[in-house]
Amino acid sequence: MRRMVVGTPRRTELLRGVLDLCLLAVIDEGPAYGYEMTKRLRDRGLATVGEGSIYPLLGRLERDGLVETYRAASDGGPPRKYYRPSGAGRVALAVGVSEWRAARDAVDAVLAPVKVEVA
Amino acid sequence: MSDFVEQCRQEWKRLGVPGPLAEEMATDLTTDLREAEAEGLSIEELLGSSAFDPQSFAASWASERGIIPVTPTNAETRRRPVALVAFTVVAAITVLVAALLLVTGEPKVSLVATRASTHPLLLHPFPGTGTGPVIRRTTVSASAAAPIEWVLLFVALVALGFAALLWSGSLPPRAPRPAGG
Repeated sequence: MRRMVVGTPRRTELLRGVLDLCLLAVIDEGPAYGYEMTKRLRDRGLATVGEGSIYPLLGRLERDGLVETYRAASDGGPPRKYYRPSGAGRVALAVGVSEWRAARDAVDAVLAPVKVEVA
Repeated sequence: MSDFVEQCRQEWKRLGVPGPLAEEMATDLTTDLREAEAEGLSIEELLGSSAFDPQSFAASWASERGIIPVTPTNAETRRRPVALVAFTVVAAITVLVAALLLVTGEPKVSLVATRASTHPLLLHPFPGTGTGPVIRRTTVSASAAAPIEWVLLFVALVALGFAALLWSGSLPPRAPRPAGG
C-alpha cells in the first residue's frame, strides 16, 4: 500500500504529470535552451524543478515530435540547442491545458469545503 | 561539475549511446551547468537528487530520447528476476521429468484384449465332441504415454528457450567494444 505523501514529495509528484505541459508552454512564448527554460519556470514559482527532470522530459518531447530543435549562438556564449513546439506540440499543449483545467476544477470542487488550519 | 558530466559520458558509453549523440548531450549539459554556476546556483540546486546519481540521470535522458531501450525502474529490476527464476526452474524441471519418462519408458500401459467368438459354428465347431467355445486372448504392451512425453518435452524446451531469451534481456547492457576492436 502506498503511503500518503506530504509536502514537497506531493508537489513533485503533482508537477511530474504536468511538467511537459509547462515546458511546452514556456517554449511557446519563445524558443529556449534547457537552462533558460529552468529560469522561466523558476520565475513563475516552479523553483523545485530540477534540471535533472527537465532533460529527460525534453528528450521525450523531442522523440515524440512535439518539439523542434535547432542550434544557435546564445548571447556571447557557445551554440546552444534551442527548443520550440512543433505543430503537434501546440496541439498537445492545447489539449493538455484543457485536461489540466478540467482536472484542477474537479479537484478544487472536492477540496473547496476543506477548512485549512495551519498551526 | 565536470566530474558529473564525465560520469554521464562514461555511462552513455557503457550503454552504447552513439558518440556524436553522447557528445551533444554532454556539451549541452556542460554549457547549461556553467551558466547556472555563473549565476550562483549549485549543481544540486539545478539537478536535485539527480546530482547524486549521474548514472541514472544519464540513462534516463538517453532512454527518453529513444537512443537506448527504456531502463526499468529499480522495483521492476528486482521483481523480474524472481518471476524469471521461478519460470526457469519450472521449465527446467519439466524438461527433466519429460526426458526421464522418455528414457525409462514409464508409465507403461498394458492392454489385454479378450475376445470370445459367438458364432454358433464356432461355439460348437465339432458337435458332440464337447469342445467348448474358442477364446482368443491378445495382450498388447505399449507405452501409451510416449506421445504425451514428447509433447511435454517440446513445450518445456520452448519454455526454457523463452526463459533464456528473457534472461538475456534482463541482463545489464554490455559495454560497447572499443572502436576498431
